[in-house]
Amino acid sequence: MQNTIREIRAGLSEEPRRQAVYFLVSVLVLVLFVWLIGLVAQESVYARFQVFVTIFLGIFVEAAPFLLAGSIVSGLIDIFLDDRLVERVIPDSPLAGAFVGAIMGFAFPVCECGVVPVTRRLYQKGMPLSVGISFLLAAPVVNPIVVASTYAAFGWGPILSGRFIITIAVAFLIGLLFTWAKPQDILRPVTDVSHDHHRHDHDTSGIHFRERLWAAIQVAGNDFIDMARYLIIGSMLAALMQTIVPQSTLLALGGGEFSSVATLMVLAFVLSICSTVDAFLALSFVNTFTTGAVLSFLTFGPMVDIKSSLMFLGVFRRRVVAYLIVLPLLLNLLIALLINMYTGL
Amino acid sequence: MIEKSIKLTLFLATGAFLYLLIYNGTLETYIHPRFSYLTLVAALGLFLVGVSYFRADGDLAHEHRSVAWWGLLIIAVPVVLGWMVPARPLGATAMNTREVSVVGLSSISASGSEDLTMARPSTERNILDWINLFQNTQEWSGFVGEEVDVVGFVYRDERFGSDELMISRFVVSCCAADGQPIGLIVRADDASVWTDDQWLEIRGTIELGEFNGLTLPLLMADEMVAVEAPAQPYLYP
Repeated sequence: MQNTIREIRAGLSEEPRRQAVYFLVSVLVLVLFVWLIGLVAQESVYARFQVFVTIFLGIFVEAAPFLLAGSIVSGLIDIFLDDRLVERVIPDSPLAGAFVGAIMGFAFPVCECGVVPVTRRLYQKGMPLSVGISFLLAAPVVNPIVVASTYAAFGWGPILSGRFIITIAVAFLIGLLFTWAKPQDILRPVTDVSHDHHRHDHDTSGIHFRERLWAAIQVAGNDFIDMARYLIIGSMLAALMQTIVPQSTLLALGGGEFSSVATLMVLAFVLSICSTVDAFLALSFVNTFTTGAVLSFLTFGPMVDIKSSLMFLGVFRRRVVAYLIVLPLLLNLLIALLINMYTGL
Repeated sequence: MIEKSIKLTLFLATGAFLYLLIYNGTLETYIHPRFSYLTLVAALGLFLVGVSYFRADGDLAHEHRSVAWWGLLIIAVPVVLGWMVPARPLGATAMNTREVSVVGLSSISASGSEDLTMARPSTERNILDWINLFQNTQEWSGFVGEEVDVVGFVYRDERFGSDELMISRFVVSCCAADGQPIGLIVRADDASVWTDDQWLEIRGTIELGEFNGLTLPLLMADEMVAVEAPAQPYLYP
């Protein structure tokens, strides 16, 4: 009863209604704008626009199920996982913690779209910074689905083992760097609940299971909305790049020890392909590019790409997002160059 | 209440959009069909999430935080674009920014068994089968005289003469974002009749010939027929 009254009052208050009006007007403007493009654009320009839409929706439709799955895992964690469990399971030692973070993907099989809401939720449940960062960077690769898809594409061999060893090593090292950082310097206020009095410690175990399940799904919905914004902007940027920048300018650089690695890392960043399937695309580079380059495509891409780095903005402060792009970039680049120079692969 | 209704609408609309993609068969313009069951699950999941806004106990789901209007607007973008812009599979326009594989500088690698492809009658091979065969060997003379019957769309760039075109397909391993174009170089006297992006079925034979300074397997067309774009616009490795 009290709830309904509060809802009605919230519904009648000024701010949500203003937001709703802004929303409806802006959707109308968007619809008019798209309609106008169809009306006035030359056929060749409109064809380009359609290519953009096809690639954008390709990424979105492909990623939406994985993002939704990640959001639902996040919602379930929020409602069902006891806060103290996180503290109990994660080891105290920074070394062990970062390592557990790097291999925790086997317990939460998510790709790079799903991992962000789950990480954010685990932070709200009190997970240490370093563990979360290792998890965030490694989980898109270190999970059973990606093992299966990489195996399907490459079979047993240096690419499969290299992909997992490099990912775990890089994620572990970067996680370790954040061991002594303060959460309030790293996390956005929404994520950082270390000083939050609203921290939801209230006992929910007495509430009916079905009630809690619905609540978990609604939490998932809010998470999905939060994260899908970044996913959508990211896929639009990736699609725009693909519609404008000629791939040949990138692929012309395929053979060199350095240029091949740099090229595939840029490509991985721009294409923003889901980590569960990027192995199949990487397969098509094997003949043209050096092994180090193909490996860097498979290790760097899942850690950082246009859409996931935008999604990071929903969890971390802006400066930290820059670190989370630059550090994996440098480490993966270095490892790939060493592979190209000192192994005969 | 208003915000909840907007969220409900957005989730239902996005779910309906995904479901209709499967229902209309346009899903294959965007992603590889082997993921269609995921799209279906996502559509149902989005319905469920939408409904939860009117089923869940708001306090338990701590919904005091509200989303700004522009955040919700962004969620509406895929649905608006999906419904207003007619689905168009990647074609000649998309090839302008992509590396176009003529044999020898292709980046598509063979994943199917060569023996299986060879065992099939040559007229049942699609463009991807041909490219894979050409890539696995440098001895192209063995293919000379083999009959070809392929479907694809027309593409040309500055390398092509007036009696030449490329009969092309996009190869998609996951979604349209990873689409890689491939094609056979076709030589025919009336090649200039066809406009870019026109879908054709071409019958002919393989000959070795000079293209752009390279000796490559060419398709000498005997018969070119305009056809409707196939229901599955892409080829899958």
